[in-house]
Amino acid sequence: MPEVPVLELKDVSKHFGGVRAVDGVDLAVARGEILALIGPNGSGKSTIVNLICGLFPLTAGRIVLDGADISDMPMHARVSGGVARTFQNIRLFGQLTVWQNLWVAQNSGEQRRQGFGRRWFGGSRSARGEVERTLEFFDLAHKSNELAANLAFGEQRRLEFARALSAKPALLLLDEPAAGMNAEEIDQLDNRIRKVRDDGVTILLIEHHMELVMSIADRIAVLNFGRKIAEGTPASVQANPVVREAYLGTPEQV
Amino acid sequence: MDDYLVGVLSNIGIVSFIALSAWLLLLTGEISFGQQAFFAIGAYAAGIATALWGWPLGAALGWSAAIAGGAAVLVGVPTLRLHGLYFAIATLGFAEMVRLLFEQFHYRVMIDGELVGPNGSDGFRGIRYIFENDVGSLQFLALIYLLLAAALAGFMLLERSRLGVAFRMIGEDDTLAALNGLAVARLKILAAGLAGALAGLGGGLYAHLTTYVEPRVFDVMLGVHSLAYGLIGGLGTALGPLLGVVIDIGLLESVRAFAGYRMIVFGGLVAVLLIVRPRGLLDEALVHRIGRLFVRAPPAGP
Repeated sequence: MPEVPVLELKDVSKHFGGVRAVDGVDLAVARGEILALIGPNGSGKSTIVNLICGLFPLTAGRIVLDGADISDMPMHARVSGGVARTFQNIRLFGQLTVWQNLWVAQNSGEQRRQGFGRRWFGGSRSARGEVERTLEFFDLAHKSNELAANLAFGEQRRLEFARALSAKPALLLLDEPAAGMNAEEIDQLDNRIRKVRDDGVTILLIEHHMELVMSIADRIAVLNFGRKIAEGTPASVQANPVVREAYLGTPEQV
Repeated sequence: MDDYLVGVLSNIGIVSFIALSAWLLLLTGEISFGQQAFFAIGAYAAGIATALWGWPLGAALGWSAAIAGGAAVLVGVPTLRLHGLYFAIATLGFAEMVRLLFEQFHYRVMIDGELVGPNGSDGFRGIRYIFENDVGSLQFLALIYLLLAAALAGFMLLERSRLGVAFRMIGEDDTLAALNGLAVARLKILAAGLAGALAGLGGGLYAHLTTYVEPRVFDVMLGVHSLAYGLIGGLGTALGPLLGVVIDIGLLESVRAFAGYRMIVFGGLVAVLLIVRPRGLLDEALVHRIGRLFVRAPPAGP
């Protein structure tokens, strides 16, 4: 192994009562790659994202970020440690403007190291320029002063991506970013994800839209019933009979 | 100005402090029925400082804000882990506890051949600073509004700062706020401390305006009103709770036509507004629309 992975899940489990939502999953995400996590509905993909960002505690296993164990860290500390995420169902601060949504989300790791006054009351030029660049990148500059709740669906999706990216994450978790998008929007999304990766951000992508997954993923991991059933290049996963069975069922069931 | 008007305006000013206090917590998504506890602590602290210890008024007011803010932080540490209804009930319980403690609080000192100081449920008489120092009622009114203006200026600054936006984020969705890297628990305690200090300052002014305080003034109704002012006036701007106070005290309590019907009209108003405008008259959307009239160039930001 030449390099420490950005993210490592070691035998991670999450049980809700008797339900084994995630059951002994090992997963490593290498620096600079786009790893897609796919699987049928209820296979535990979103649960894994929730575990990585700390939404609820693990039942068993460890989560290691950049070589440091983050399993017991609170959510906000993980963000400054370099993990940011988007939500499958859009989650924004609707009563705040587009600008405000990005301004406070911005660059949390560096912010935390600043003094109280500078962090909370300083309005530095660099912060401003950065927000403006992010807005440009996501084609939202003209909506800067709009309340997030008043944006159209596609714009809200872009803002959600922009908000997560503003934290300057080392690892970005995208939870079904293409949900509800049309072909053209998916195309733009594809481009943006690539650009973000080229800027050095590692991406864990959860997506049902197979065309997008096959087009941008470097590697794919497949989950079924909370277990990892396959991992590899898009081509090898596509050819894998176990994966086909998970998605389509066995001949007897059909 | 006639005395009645001065009295009404002074009242409006002082109640505005506790309304702002409850409003600040509303901003961070917490419903507190207990801000009257910090108002009471401020009132007693400031009264004791001038009447018993001979402090000047300015120091006494600073002290009342500091001790109420400190108390709010101490209460906030355990209670802000609770959410929604549980937090609301905890604040209510705490406030009643404070009121009952003041019913039992005796601290009397012989001053000029007279016993002065808090005397349990009989209250605390003889906070005569403004008479002894010839502060006229108009002058005191000016002091109230000067401090209120300073508090509002602080809120305007807050609204334009990252901290203010962070408070609003926590109020809207505290999980998402944490996922934006905000240390939610710490920021909530900070908000609670600031809110406690504001209520304490209001209490300090109240004690000196009325010259005596008694525990029963600080009952649940004061807390409920303080909270309702923000809900009526709106969450969009710090002027919201002030609008609520003006509507209630300026209109319902002080205009004779409403005499005797104040609570009925007030309760009805709250009920109607919660249905029609759940985030108050001056809600975020309206404040945003008004703000855009003044800011033409689109990418203005803060």
